[in-house]
Amino acid sequence: MELLWLIVLGTLVVGYFALAGFDYGTGLLLPFRGRDETLHRMTPFFLGNEVWLVAAIGVLFAAFPRLEGELLSGAHSTFTLILAGLVLFMAAVQLRLWSWLVFTGALMVSVGWGLFLAHLLHAPVAVALVMPVLFALHGWVFQTRRWALFPLTALLCALPIPLAFSSIDVAGLMAHTDTLGLLAWVAVPIIPLVVLLQWSIVSISSR
Amino acid sequence: MSPSDLARVQFATTTSFHFLFVLLTLGLVTLLVITQTRFTLTRAPVHERMTRFWGRIYVINYALGIATGIVMEFQFGLDWSGLATYAGDVFGAPLALETLIAFFLESTFLGLWIFGWGRLNRWVHLALLYLTALTAYASAFWIMAANGFLQHPVGYRVEGNVLRLEDFSALLGNPTFGTALVHVVFASLTVGGVFLTGVSAYHFIKRTPEVDFFRRSLRLGVVTTALVTPSLVGAGFAQFPIIEELQPGKFAHAPGTALGFMILIGMTLMAVSWLTLPLLIKDAVIRMRFPLYLMVIGIPLPFLAAILGWVFREVGRQPWLIYGLLRTEDAVSQVDSSQILLSLIVFSSLFVVLACVDWALIARAVRRGPDVTPAPVSPLVVTL
Repeated sequence: MELLWLIVLGTLVVGYFALAGFDYGTGLLLPFRGRDETLHRMTPFFLGNEVWLVAAIGVLFAAFPRLEGELLSGAHSTFTLILAGLVLFMAAVQLRLWSWLVFTGALMVSVGWGLFLAHLLHAPVAVALVMPVLFALHGWVFQTRRWALFPLTALLCALPIPLAFSSIDVAGLMAHTDTLGLLAWVAVPIIPLVVLLQWSIVSISSR
Repeated sequence: MSPSDLARVQFATTTSFHFLFVLLTLGLVTLLVITQTRFTLTRAPVHERMTRFWGRIYVINYALGIATGIVMEFQFGLDWSGLATYAGDVFGAPLALETLIAFFLESTFLGLWIFGWGRLNRWVHLALLYLTALTAYASAFWIMAANGFLQHPVGYRVEGNVLRLEDFSALLGNPTFGTALVHVVFASLTVGGVFLTGVSAYHFIKRTPEVDFFRRSLRLGVVTTALVTPSLVGAGFAQFPIIEELQPGKFAHAPGTALGFMILIGMTLMAVSWLTLPLLIKDAVIRMRFPLYLMVIGIPLPFLAAILGWVFREVGRQPWLIYGLLRTEDAVSQVDSSQILLSLIVFSSLFVVLACVDWALIARAVRRGPDVTPAPVSPLVVTL
């Protein structure tokens, strides 16, 4: 049961960074590319990408209740930066008015995740720059449609934070098996279903 | 202010803003189900145009509401880590079910509905809207189940210094859950009904050429409001004996003015919508013109009432976070006041901006009216 929930959480976190990574990358590259076409390419993916984060935090709360609070409150201001960036980024992409606002939002989110990575690894703050660089690279691969490279940059974006996580011993931080057993019936079928449906959104919109 | 006071202010601010978006989302999606079902059955263009116009507003509101929802979800871990540590096993279950069953699926069905417009079989497309609405209701269901647990904890056992899940079904049979859920659902339907009425009235004030379109919308709004407000008020009063029994201090403790104003607004909306019903005959209400202005002014009222009701429910629970088990001050994270103050300032100002943006985008969509040559309102909405 413990392993199952690590896999569920891992899948959601990896899904979030692999997908939302190119959103943020797109935002970071926006000042250097044609605005309309660049945003247009991201459109069918946008809503679907960000919701992976919501699902991941939901699972973190229910399955790892004693980890969630420590983790988030331990990096309070970093998450303030990430969330403020997210709100700005999502609103700015909706508005399509100012590219610099999309860029600023994406930069805040990426630097925020970088700072969180540095926090997890107890590494110097400069490590924070890793995430914006990886996101930008992923965004560039997505925008220039170099699909052969896509899985590689997706992995590069997705892995740093889960790997840094693996240093945490989760035994004792997880919920009781009664709770985990109940939730497993829901979590296990829903993730593949959402992947399938999100895939259909993309294939429909490119028709 | 102490960290716990700041965290409370922040939670109240975040939840209130989030609630505004949620109310309109739930209300509009239900009315969209009606218009699109009519379109699918009759194929009459007016129903398709109605679905498109109100759907555009719905999607704008949904897409911006997500941003408040994300912050909302992080709040628990950021400011209230004591809640997860102590009760995460029980309280976390409905919360996780909400994110997985409801939100994760809802946004995906909605995405398919948006991008499937004109590209999917019309029955499949209708089914997607039903699924979106169903998962939206599931969201309200699980959130209220989680909140019901905070009001009156059930289905748990104490093990050491944490709570464990003993009986999940007790959470769903919680007396502080069912009636409150019905109340919230009818509140959002009222928001939807009053919104449709007000926006349609605005177009009649502006002498719209789209008479048939807004006549139908206005009727749908007024009839919806009249049908749902009695149940809304009923489900509100039905909670009084439950509160008296389970949370005896609540009426003394909670801000009575909030409750009073909420009841006043609910009663007024019920009375006015029933008085308007006979005036729908031969469009008397539109020709009188004067009531149209009241309809526009009325748009914020159900939003205000819902916030007041929520304030009563939550403030009345104090000083407990989980009634009788966990005090609010004991649940707050070990964080400096300055950090909470920073996040409070940042999020509050962003939410004000977000609410204004939502209002501006909706107002723009409303002013443009039903027929829009594809002009990008937002990347998601352009396809509608």
